[in-house]
Amino acid sequence: MALRELLLEHADARDLTRLSEYEAVGGYASLRKAVGMERQAVLDELLAANVRGRGGAGFPMGRKASFLPQPGDTPNPIYLVANADESEPGTFKDREIMLRIPHMFVEGVVIAGYTIGASYAFIYLRGEYLTEFEVLTAALEEARKARLVGKDVLGSGWGLTVVVHRGAGAYICGEETALLDSLEGRRGQPRTKPPFPAISGLYASPTLINNVETLATVPKILELGGARYAQLGVENSAGTRVFSLSGNVVRGGNYELEMGTTLRELVHDIGGGIPDGRELKAIIPGGSSVPVLSADEVDTPLDFDAMAEAGTMLGSGGVIVIDDRCCMVQLGLRVAQFYMHESCGKCTPCREGTRWMVQLLRRIEDGEASQGELDVLLNACDRILGNCLCPLGDAAAMPVASYVAKFREEYQRHIDEGGCPFGGESSLDRVLAPVDQHHGRVRGEIEVPTHA
Amino acid sequence: MAELYDEIQAVAAQYPSRRSAVMPALRLAQERHGGWLPAEAFREVAEALELTPAYCQAVASFYDMYHLEPVGRHMVEICTNVSCALVGAQQVLEAFERELEVSAGETTADGEVTLRTVECAGGCGWGTVVAVDHRYREPVRPEDVPGIVKELRGA
Amino acid sequence: MSAQPELVSVTVDGREIQVPKGTGMIETAAAAGVEIPVFCYEPRLGPPIGACRMCLCEVEGMPKLQAACTLTAQEGMALKTAQTSPKAAEGQHAMLEFILLNHPLDCPDCDKGGECPLQDLTFRFGPGNTRMQFPKRTFDKPVPISPLIALDRERCILCYRCTRFSENVSEDGQLVAVNRGAQSLIATFEDEPYRAHFSGNVLELCPVGALTSTTYRFRARPWEIQNVPTVCGLCPVGCNVWATTREGRVARVLSRNHPEVHEGWLCDKGRFAHDHLAAPDRIRAPLLRVRRRGFEEVSPERALDEAARGLREADGPVVVAFSGAETVEQADALARIAVAGAGGWSALLPDDWDPSLEAFRAPLSDIRDADVCLVLGDHPVEERAPIVDLWLRAARRGGAEVITVGPSGSVRAAPGSAAPTCAALRAGKGLPRELRETSRALRQAKRIALVWSEDDPTGGGHVGALADELRGRAKADVAVYALPRTPNGRGVAAAWHAGGGVVAGELPEEIGALVVAGDEAAHDPRVLELAGRARFVLAFAMFQSEVTSWSHVVLPATSYLEREGTFVNLEGRHQRLRRAVVPAGPDELELLAGLGERLGVQLDPWAAPSAEGQARLAPPHEFAWSRPDPQPPTARSAAPGLELVRYRPLFSGAAVERVPQLQFQRPAPEIELAHEDAVTRGIANEETVVVTSNGTSKELRARISRRLRAGVVRVAEEHARGLEDHVQVTK
Ligand SMILES: Cc1cc2nc3c(=O)[nH]c(=O)nc-3n(C[C@H](O)[C@H](O)[C@H](O)COP(=O)(O)O)c2cc1C
Ligand code: SF4
Ligand code: FES
Repeated sequence: MALRELLLEHADARDLTRLSEYEAVGGYASLRKAVGMERQAVLDELLAANVRGRGGAGFPMGRKASFLPQPGDTPNPIYLVANADESEPGTFKDREIMLRIPHMFVEGVVIAGYTIGASYAFIYLRGEYLTEFEVLTAALEEARKARLVGKDVLGSGWGLTVVVHRGAGAYICGEETALLDSLEGRRGQPRTKPPFPAISGLYASPTLINNVETLATVPKILELGGARYAQLGVENSAGTRVFSLSGNVVRGGNYELEMGTTLRELVHDIGGGIPDGRELKAIIPGGSSVPVLSADEVDTPLDFDAMAEAGTMLGSGGVIVIDDRCCMVQLGLRVAQFYMHESCGKCTPCREGTRWMVQLLRRIEDGEASQGELDVLLNACDRILGNCLCPLGDAAAMPVASYVAKFREEYQRHIDEGGCPFGGESSLDRVLAPVDQHHGRVRGEIEVPTHA
Repeated sequence: MAELYDEIQAVAAQYPSRRSAVMPALRLAQERHGGWLPAEAFREVAEALELTPAYCQAVASFYDMYHLEPVGRHMVEICTNVSCALVGAQQVLEAFERELEVSAGETTADGEVTLRTVECAGGCGWGTVVAVDHRYREPVRPEDVPGIVKELRGA
Repeated sequence: MSAQPELVSVTVDGREIQVPKGTGMIETAAAAGVEIPVFCYEPRLGPPIGACRMCLCEVEGMPKLQAACTLTAQEGMALKTAQTSPKAAEGQHAMLEFILLNHPLDCPDCDKGGECPLQDLTFRFGPGNTRMQFPKRTFDKPVPISPLIALDRERCILCYRCTRFSENVSEDGQLVAVNRGAQSLIATFEDEPYRAHFSGNVLELCPVGALTSTTYRFRARPWEIQNVPTVCGLCPVGCNVWATTREGRVARVLSRNHPEVHEGWLCDKGRFAHDHLAAPDRIRAPLLRVRRRGFEEVSPERALDEAARGLREADGPVVVAFSGAETVEQADALARIAVAGAGGWSALLPDDWDPSLEAFRAPLSDIRDADVCLVLGDHPVEERAPIVDLWLRAARRGGAEVITVGPSGSVRAAPGSAAPTCAALRAGKGLPRELRETSRALRQAKRIALVWSEDDPTGGGHVGALADELRGRAKADVAVYALPRTPNGRGVAAAWHAGGGVVAGELPEEIGALVVAGDEAAHDPRVLELAGRARFVLAFAMFQSEVTSWSHVVLPATSYLEREGTFVNLEGRHQRLRRAVVPAGPDELELLAGLGERLGVQLDPWAAPSAEGQARLAPPHEFAWSRPDPQPPTARSAAPGLELVRYRPLFSGAAVERVPQLQFQRPAPEIELAHEDAVTRGIANEETVVVTSNGTSKELRARISRRLRAGVVRVAEEHARGLEDHVQVTK
């Protein structure tokens, strides 16, 4: 079994939400070590570890941190922001980390804050995560009392104020610049880049933004030393990742694996395979925004390069298993509906394009589409791709285009047979996007309110 | 009970810029107004943060967790995103619709329960995820639904 | 700002061009003669947002298309627009198609038709080919978002220009985008009207026919109109405008961007008040008082003979009451007529001007670049010279420290504190605590803007003295902006003094003749009182008033849109009024010349002021009066009760009163009350209260403010009539 627990080690045996327990297994030793080091020395460890972001983009953390100006060189304060907005469909690993090893996350936040010379850290926590909020704030309180957080950390003379900011239900706020606008009290809409947050982020000040899992990894990096950490995993994909396994699989859940482990190991050996003796049809390897893999690509290793070669992405590590009961047009429709619902509405191609995709897919599913329309759909995706203000538009266009590419005959049959070949038996049948709370929208369709 | 105005000032003090407090302030206002945000709530938040009611409404209407229409005393939210849908979210939803005699997006006649479908709740591995008054139940199967509804009616 | 910006060379569609590093790519391309289509890009609204994506271009070395509006010129950059890059062209077609997915094709009955960027671009850069046999978004249309503005949401392309204006320029925070994604739409709070001084600017910002003017909709088509370049004559800023005329009537007023004066913004008064020209109750013919039978219309000749006789035979001094809306030429003519008359003369000037201020003269746009702005006075800047408020907001956004000293300022000073504050800041020592921060800021500042918004007899002498002091001590560069009460008060004062007129210090007991020049003067209670004392009253007026009913001869007056002439704005800038439409009655200037002729004064009020005329106007030394030594006036009498501050609302006066669509902009019968005072009296917001000051009492709605200084209440002039300086407020 390729389970390799680094972060989640001891989490089954002990209640690591309690400071005493966490310290009993060496918790906060890395922080003690760090505040005794030069800030640059800590940064060097992160660079050596070659740890890539766990939030989706996979950008090397050390590199990003090194883009920030030195505290002395900027008139503005420096901020750290932890991205805990986890909302990518199929992804629920950050939640696991905050519920089970909150102190490791907090320790990572404080070390990262020290590294960049921040005096303020914000944790942007997904609004729906209520229990997580309680566990996290309790852990922070314990840490504060123990002088591990707050003014004058461990008597080092350096202090870090940590504020938990709760979101309110908007997937786009996971996108780093939208997150910043939301944190500044605005509608969470992305900003143009440049300037990048490292130069001008929160309140137009230098800001480092990292994902929960990325930050929770930091204490382990200091514990092992960057060089040794880099040995874990495979080239360009150092270390372990907590993968979220869901969909048509026997044992769904979060599993921490060394990168390079194959999908087969995760889905079949660890996840127990497909239930009810069904056939594997497709796998979404990195959250619903990435291109799909077909059953025969199940041996693809879970690392950045291998996924890139297979034409998809490791993304947020949300592995969604799809069996042969699923209609791929319905899948496309449901995914498109999600991104349409979450589009922030700022840029034209995403706002209008995702809505058009939903209209086209609905027509195909309902058997109303005429022959040319499959290509109109592909062309619409193509016209969104790369033309939007932020990657959300791509997140809708890429997967849908891949469904058509890999299951074209299934799409074609909808048009030829004037309806869904599954005849109501698909596992996704009748599933539609949420009713829009704000205007009592009819399920799945857009009916815009009259606002006279 | 402290004035909403003062509560908001306290929250605002946590941030380098007061504007950042608009989301927590709206959350506080919503709690005080029975789970949703009437026009009055926007005026109160606007005054406390020296913003305009229009600005506060613009912010609130962007996020799914602020309610611009009245809601029930209890909230049942069913994830219908891909992972949950693959394992029967639709059947769970229909079970709730039967038990509560409302369809998604509606509130029961007695104003007790609001039924919503939501996007990925972040529990995909244990689908179908249902949040009852913001506490996750994972997983929920159609046969669990009558029990949950009874529990709510009892509460 | 650095002295010499570094030049970089950029190629656009193969053409190489040199521009200062960091120049916006849209401007860079334009400089190279290449137009890049944009919808959301509008530099006056703040940093680019890259939302509409219409400006997608190919940049050498970048895999994806880039939104040109978000790029800035860097050395060696190579840009290819749709004109040379098939990829960019495809991107642009894509964006047009996306926009047109939900944009109705109703150009023929759209007001914007003919002057619509979307229409043009569809023609020039289309085909936004029609592959969308889908239901478009539908809304009720058009919905009024105020009596002035209609919104057609189906046409809205969500470029967020209007909402960015509301949030980032006027900062009124009233016009917003609500909802998310494809559901987004432009709205006001609970459909309340968009009530703000600058709302009309969104009409010119909207690149499609989504926001249209209720006063202009369907009035004219672009090809039927003429645009006359002139200057707004309704406040001392003097915004540059186009008067759009059709069939001899002013159909609308658009802005003509003068970057130093108003950056192309207009207030709603300047934009919409023009309809008063066509008001039914306008005086169109000369009127002569006839015993008992009241007035009768007479020929201009008859009226002028009577007027001349009245002035010639007036034994006792002639007093001219100015409105501050006369052109320099008119004021000059009136001065010379008065001087020619027998028995001495004097004038009631709405504004006066301390020549020392000339040394601190600077364009309004310099306010934006100041690092400290100090605003002094009890009169809200946005009510007196609205554009100045926009410059102050721009300064604050740019990081300047903006300090306002007044009843609801950042320094909450008692009414009448402006002059004492100047004195205290000059003395520097013994400062009250609340002024120490201010003093420190001023001492450290390199660029200071002083704004004076107070009625005072010294014509800004106090602030002039402070400016002297700051320049001398702090070596800062200091600009002073003293806000006159009236549009051309400064020019009128200059002309009067230049013409040899003296100012009424003490007005004579016996008045031979009173000349009332225009409606502002005619509505001034002080003038009414003079009229009662004068043996002969001659009035120039557009509309009837109590004063005209006291007059012996009434001559029809004209509006700033009907005149040629010169205005001097608050900066001291001489601006030319151009006649957009010919006046309804006989020409006011002709009447003046005729009057002069009868009194043996040679006048040519049409001529632009001659060189020597200009020189006479050019301050400071030719000014006929000496600079008063600014003595802080003794503080207002301390009486029991709350101290009442009256202010003159922007939306008031004869012109505004005659435009139905502007009525909602006028101040409600409200009394602004400090939060503390409301609490002690148990008064809730919007509650009706009784306001009394010895004898008089009226009912007003309470507007509770957390900014207003305790012990002070504020009421608009028109709702404060009959109230004294101290009032009681009870439930
Ligand atoms: C539409 C969208 C949604 C995103 N959602 C998340 C999220 O929920 N959590 C997260 O950590 N990163 C999310 N990201 C990625 C962030 O923009 C950012 O890259 C990341 O938080 C950086 O942290 P990392 O370098 O540690 O991965 C999202 C990006 C996009 C475009
Ligand atoms: S109303 Fe006009 S300016 Fe405002 S977003 Fe729509 S198109 Fe843009
Ligand atoms: S899909 Fe249901 S919780 Fe993620």
